Amino acid sequence: MSGGEAHVENSIWMRAVVWGGVFLVVGVLAFATMGVGVANVKHHDYEEELVKYDAAKEVYYDAKNAYELAEGDDNTTAAELSALKTAKEEAKAAYDKAHHDEIEAHLSYLTWRTAGVTILLMCITYAAFLALGGFVNSIQPSDDHGHDDHHYGGDDHEHHGSGSPIVFSLGIMLFLMGFPKFQAVLGNMLSGDDFALGDLGVSMIGLTVITLGIANWWREDLPFIGNGEQIATSAPFEGQHLRKAGMWVFIMSEIMVFASFFSSYLRMRTGWCTKWSYDEGTCREFPNMVINHHEEHPDFVMTASDYLRPDGAAGTGDFWTMLPGAVNTFALIISSYTIVLALKTAKAKNWEAPKGALGKLMPTQKIAVRNYLLATFLLGSMFIVLKLIEWSHLVAEGFTIGTQAGSIFYISTGAHGLHVFVGLLIMLYLVFKADTVGYDENNGQGIEYFGLYWHFVDLAWVVIFPAFYLY
Amino acid sequence: MGEHEPSGIFEKTFDGLLGQDIYFWNFIILMIFTLAEVGAVFFVGIPLAAVWAILIGVGIVKGYGIAAYFMHLKGDPRIYTRTALFPVLFVLLMLWGIGLSNPDGVDALPGWCKPSWDYATNR
Repeated sequence: MSGGEAHVENSIWMRAVVWGGVFLVVGVLAFATMGVGVANVKHHDYEEELVKYDAAKEVYYDAKNAYELAEGDDNTTAAELSALKTAKEEAKAAYDKAHHDEIEAHLSYLTWRTAGVTILLMCITYAAFLALGGFVNSIQPSDDHGHDDHHYGGDDHEHHGSGSPIVFSLGIMLFLMGFPKFQAVLGNMLSGDDFALGDLGVSMIGLTVITLGIANWWREDLPFIGNGEQIATSAPFEGQHLRKAGMWVFIMSEIMVFASFFSSYLRMRTGWCTKWSYDEGTCREFPNMVINHHEEHPDFVMTASDYLRPDGAAGTGDFWTMLPGAVNTFALIISSYTIVLALKTAKAKNWEAPKGALGKLMPTQKIAVRNYLLATFLLGSMFIVLKLIEWSHLVAEGFTIGTQAGSIFYISTGAHGLHVFVGLLIMLYLVFKADTVGYDENNGQGIEYFGLYWHFVDLAWVVIFPAFYLY
Repeated sequence: MGEHEPSGIFEKTFDGLLGQDIYFWNFIILMIFTLAEVGAVFFVGIPLAAVWAILIGVGIVKGYGIAAYFMHLKGDPRIYTRTALFPVLFVLLMLWGIGLSNPDGVDALPGWCKPSWDYATNR
């Protein structure tokens, strides 16, 4: 042991493998209960509602035809016509109700099915991420002097630099080079078509390199207890931690990425003739400019908010359609606060366990940090599940990526969701470190730097949510 | 998240209030503003300008709260704020040049900006 690091036994890495197994079990259980059990019941309900809807539709069209025939028949008395009109109106009301119930049943089925499948896929990714990284490190030869992998080039000066990001980046590059074939093969596999397994080659090599890069990165970081933080020696960050400066420069580039999405959206949105802009009298091209033909509203471009807002043009929006987006907004803010609490707890010099029920959840400083990080992780995972449920509803209602409004919505919110998901994978490691080596005032900056990224993701949502969901 | 002495009206007012620190109060304020943001869309018939004003106003307050306190730009060395603000010029250019340009911008470009412009015949 070099004195500046925690001693990490190889066996500790096996804990990551066990966690991977736990995630797999959770994922399978969630899928079995929500994605199969409840979803099948809901699907049965949906089929029943569909039968009722078809019957109500038939009754309505019969009543409508009968009324129209009677209307054109001179022998029909006024009383008969009135009775037929009443029957037609009642049949229409029943038809509308059956249609509404059928849609509700379908969306309910989609909610459970999507939740189950999403949790399963997320848990498989979490399990693979943890178990592979943990396994690769657990089979490394033990180093009696602690591992000092980051003493590059025989440099005696201990530092916390790492070459792993380069390896990781190479893996990403290879994965993306093979991605077109990778997704084509996966698509064929899922649809039962023929495929050549060799087409997965480049992407699989990329994924292997990514795994090795991440595993090595973990191995270098896990023993880090705060000694050897690299300090910038020249302007403009002179005297500052290099990792923190690097994180801010990274965030700077991320601001540009999201600004490009937002400006594209703004450009498209100002040119669209939405119902809102028409009502406001700012729809210049109406009615000649028709971009998106919607069955019931052929003259307006339908945006996501038209489906989600209570008074949206699609007419399907209410409190419940807004709920996932609204809950996600609160979830991200709460998760921003829990990570602040994790950092505050880690840095606290005289930490005292809280009283009452919270004290039982957080009996020691180390457990408190882990649990705050775990809470952040769970809130972030909930964000992804709710987002995909919401997407499944929007697609079912006809708001697909095939339209202009759909493409910018799914790309922007999807890019944000991807950032959340990548953050969750990183957070998995933070939780693992908090549970093993632990964070304190000396090495708590790991949480701080990740927190900057997480807060930025929250900040991006502050712009995306009102622009895409409310307006 | 470095430790620093409270500065400014917000921090001096809230830090330590009811035994809670500035991060707690920042969190509460963010939650209240989010509630107002989400709640605003349930009021049918609000003019577009008012909705924009609410959303932009709330966005600025929330953005400031997250960046200044959660990301701790307030209290950290100025270089981090400068780094965060560096892309603002480009973002504004993008928003103005792309986002708020005339929807007919491409068609309405001056002749010398179009591919068909020919110096030999037009000058």
